[in-house]
Amino acid sequence: MGKLKKIILVKDTANNKETVRFAELFNSALRDRALDEQAQVVRAADINIYNQGVVVRIMPSDITYVNVNEKDIDMIIRKSIKNNDIVKEILAKPEDKQIRIVLRNCGNVDPENIEDYLAADGYLGLKKVLELDDRDKVIEEIKKSGLRGRGGGGFPTWMKWNFAKEQDNETKFIICNADEGDPGAYMDRSVLEGDPHTVVEGMIIAGFAIGAKKGYFYIRAEYPLAILRVNLALSQAREKGLLGQNILGTDFSFELEIRLGAGAFVCGEETALIASIEGKRGCPVPRPPYPSVIGLWGKPTVINNVETLSSVAPIICKGGDWLAKIGTEKSKGTKVFALTGKIANSSLIEVPMGITFREIVYDIGGGVPDNKNIKAVQTGGPSGGVIPEKFFDTPIDYENLQNLGSIMGSGGMIVMDEDDCMVDIAKFYLKFCVDESCGKCAPCRIGGKQMLDLLTEISEGKGTQEHIEKLKTISHTMQKASLCGLGQTAPNPVMSTLKYFENEYIDHIEHKKCTAGKCESLYEYKVIEEKCRRCGLCKRNCPVDAIVGDKDEGYKIIQEKCIKCGKCYEVCKFEAISRGNN
Amino acid sequence: MKLTIDNFEQESKSGKPKNKNWIKVGLSTCGIAAGADVVFETIQKAVKENKLDVSVFRTGCAGKCYAEPLVEVKAEGVARVVYGGVDKDTAEKIVQKHVMAKQLIDDHIYSIIKEEDNGEA
Repeated sequence: MGKLKKIILVKDTANNKETVRFAELFNSALRDRALDEQAQVVRAADINIYNQGVVVRIMPSDITYVNVNEKDIDMIIRKSIKNNDIVKEILAKPEDKQIRIVLRNCGNVDPENIEDYLAADGYLGLKKVLELDDRDKVIEEIKKSGLRGRGGGGFPTWMKWNFAKEQDNETKFIICNADEGDPGAYMDRSVLEGDPHTVVEGMIIAGFAIGAKKGYFYIRAEYPLAILRVNLALSQAREKGLLGQNILGTDFSFELEIRLGAGAFVCGEETALIASIEGKRGCPVPRPPYPSVIGLWGKPTVINNVETLSSVAPIICKGGDWLAKIGTEKSKGTKVFALTGKIANSSLIEVPMGITFREIVYDIGGGVPDNKNIKAVQTGGPSGGVIPEKFFDTPIDYENLQNLGSIMGSGGMIVMDEDDCMVDIAKFYLKFCVDESCGKCAPCRIGGKQMLDLLTEISEGKGTQEHIEKLKTISHTMQKASLCGLGQTAPNPVMSTLKYFENEYIDHIEHKKCTAGKCESLYEYKVIEEKCRRCGLCKRNCPVDAIVGDKDEGYKIIQEKCIKCGKCYEVCKFEAISRGNN
Repeated sequence: MKLTIDNFEQESKSGKPKNKNWIKVGLSTCGIAAGADVVFETIQKAVKENKLDVSVFRTGCAGKCYAEPLVEVKAEGVARVVYGGVDKDTAEKIVQKHVMAKQLIDDHIYSIIKEEDNGEA
């Protein structure tokens, strides 16, 4: 050591306006003291701390100062550059709120090279399992870990495995559900593309535990790179004797194949997925019997999500107790979230269960851009709901999310701000489910369509109080009577937006207003007199003659005649037409 | 060579040892959509042209979607850095300025990774 230059990393975390100036100040301070050979000042793009003024980090000593003022510069240089001391007053201890288990190798290993995965202790879990040669002990370890299905339902993984193991049948199957379809969720794709061997190893271990000789990856065809990399991983694993006949020289043999999903959302549902692999139309069938008893081609089948399977090898390597130490009482381990929407840092994060929304949004996500007000976070995709800001301090786990009217789901987390209309959001998710409904059962097929029509009327300002009552009744029916999870959960976005944001529905119904300015039919178009150059273009283009006036008097839009087509807004060259609520 | 339970410890990590100088480019769908394939090619070319002893390889998504394309660099005599928002121009700078001149590049650093052997040979 010692040969390396020190680094002074500078970033204004409030609005980035001061980054350049502070970097210059540090530079000239270094020159003044003839220290510029010993340290380099560099402007950071991101320092993982937000809204704490100018942040300065000294590397390699890894000292972080927050809310740095000009007068602190001298002290920082004297203490931390000339010497290895610290300025206590402005010192911060940044903590990394993420724990990477599923994503431990993503971004580190070369996904197309098995040697990289092996060097990162890859397939060590499989070796341990085969050495131990005891199915019950494997399942016991998973039980101890408290791992629950990460695809959404949160069913204890060990129980699924155990049901299948208990079945007295020569042929059993394990399926990896990689039919990721929630809008805004992409964790499965990232894992398959970034670390496919983790999932392969998890599947082989699961296969051993339940007594299966064959497994399938069910990957949606829209993920070509994931398919390519999984295929590559499978052939590399075969070459190394980690897959196929006599794995690692033992008498355990196991084979894996890929099946492609053709893009139907419902095929993420277990029974529809099985039908799809069997070459049938992707429609669900009633459960029970559960697939662990009667599954693929009538044989006991375990279906686990990508993220669940990725947690298996680390649990085997480090022990179930290790994972059980992370998380809350009922939800153990970590969860990967795809954090998107109105957030400064869209990212794929892995956090311990029990973390709060506030920590995710502000400490990891960097808050909402453009100083807008945050309204809610949507979790669970089209099966989930919205969680308003007042519940942001709730620890995230399966139960808490359910109590709040949402679900964990596969891990989409979409941040919404004041510009998002809750009626519009409900409509978006419901439309998704209506499009994706397989049409087999009436509650989902008819109920979804009826609800969508009601929502559309509300968003067009044609709603009445009765619409809300009808929405509630149909929701209830769909939740109780639909055949599969798709229909049962499709009303969730409507119910949860109604629960927390009924005022917005009322605004649409009674005041014909969309405060967020999303619902086009409720726009009010007006001529802004100060900006109007009286060219008359709007009047000439209005298809219903709703614009009156002339070049001398100026123009006016008659609201009663206006059909909100937006033509005037589009043609005006001077931005003199306003649209919105006021 | 096929691995077995007995030879696992010895053989599983016998793959080619990593060069101590390397550049990793995040090449998953997300990175490629942001232009990581061009970055990857640019870096490969620049390393070759300058006859540098640096391995260039691909990785998956590191999770910082907002900062794609991401490039991580470990080169002797300079801190290990994750650069983000890398374009063709920055990719060239990474080779010429970071690897060759041992100077960090402004406005693209997303983290500096602390390690015991911080760039020391």
